[in-house]
Amino acid sequence: MNSIDSHLPFLIMSALTLGSALVVVRVRNIVHAGFWLLPCFLGVAGLYALLQAHFFVVVQVLIYVGAILVLMLFALMLTQDVMNPNKPQTNRMSLPIGLFCVVFAAGVAAILTGHQWMNSRDVILPANVQTRQLGQALIGEYALPFEIASVLLLAALVGAIVLAKSEKEPAPLPLPSLEALPDSKPE
Amino acid sequence: MNLSDFLVVSALLFMIGAYGAFTRKNAIAVILSIELMLNAANLNFLSFWRFLHPSSMEPQIFVLVGITLAAAEAAVGLAVILNIYRDFGTINVEDISLLKG
Repeated sequence: MNSIDSHLPFLIMSALTLGSALVVVRVRNIVHAGFWLLPCFLGVAGLYALLQAHFFVVVQVLIYVGAILVLMLFALMLTQDVMNPNKPQTNRMSLPIGLFCVVFAAGVAAILTGHQWMNSRDVILPANVQTRQLGQALIGEYALPFEIASVLLLAALVGAIVLAKSEKEPAPLPLPSLEALPDSKPE
Repeated sequence: MNLSDFLVVSALLFMIGAYGAFTRKNAIAVILSIELMLNAANLNFLSFWRFLHPSSMEPQIFVLVGITLAAAEAAVGLAVILNIYRDFGTINVEDISLLKG
């Protein structure tokens, strides 16, 4: 059977991921929530490492921690003044939705642990062979999904720039020399 | 550690993300929660790959496309939210109710 024998790393990584995810959805200060996403993403990268998906450990750290998280923090810091962190950050449906999520998660967990999964007996390839196979698949058999993903990224890039560009001309900054001359102020 | 343990962690992460997406008032916090759910989906794909089909390539392609989608979603979503912030002066999803009947 291909089961993973290391229990302690799995428990540490799961606790890190789920604990910081809980902080992300509950903490009042939204910038803190953004920063708590970092241990969560790193915990998921650790779980990928336990699953021997070596390439995706690197991708997770590079894309999620390096790109998406920085983008999120950038947007959070641009808009953080509009949400007062002393007021509740959740709507009034928070309790029923929380109960529903707990019940649903418990049901799914019961089903998943009750099922007898047949583990594959295939060997897990070493990291260099695995990554080489993935690269060859991306330019060979799976070239079309790869190209569609790149077109999607290009469309998202152009769309994000068009959406974020302001339509109005930005107001000219008041020059400090104009304030010294009261006559030159516009009516 | 077997497949079911990883799937349970993934299901819990997904439900935490769903809870955040449904209850948060701040629109950017909703996007953060959606990122948690996308991470749970990728974790699910890689768990199935590791335990059921370690010799097939498809799950890894799926995860790669999923990460691409997450990046695209974050970029476009944040651009939309910045636009809303400029027009409405708020990113509280309860105050943005222009289309509410």
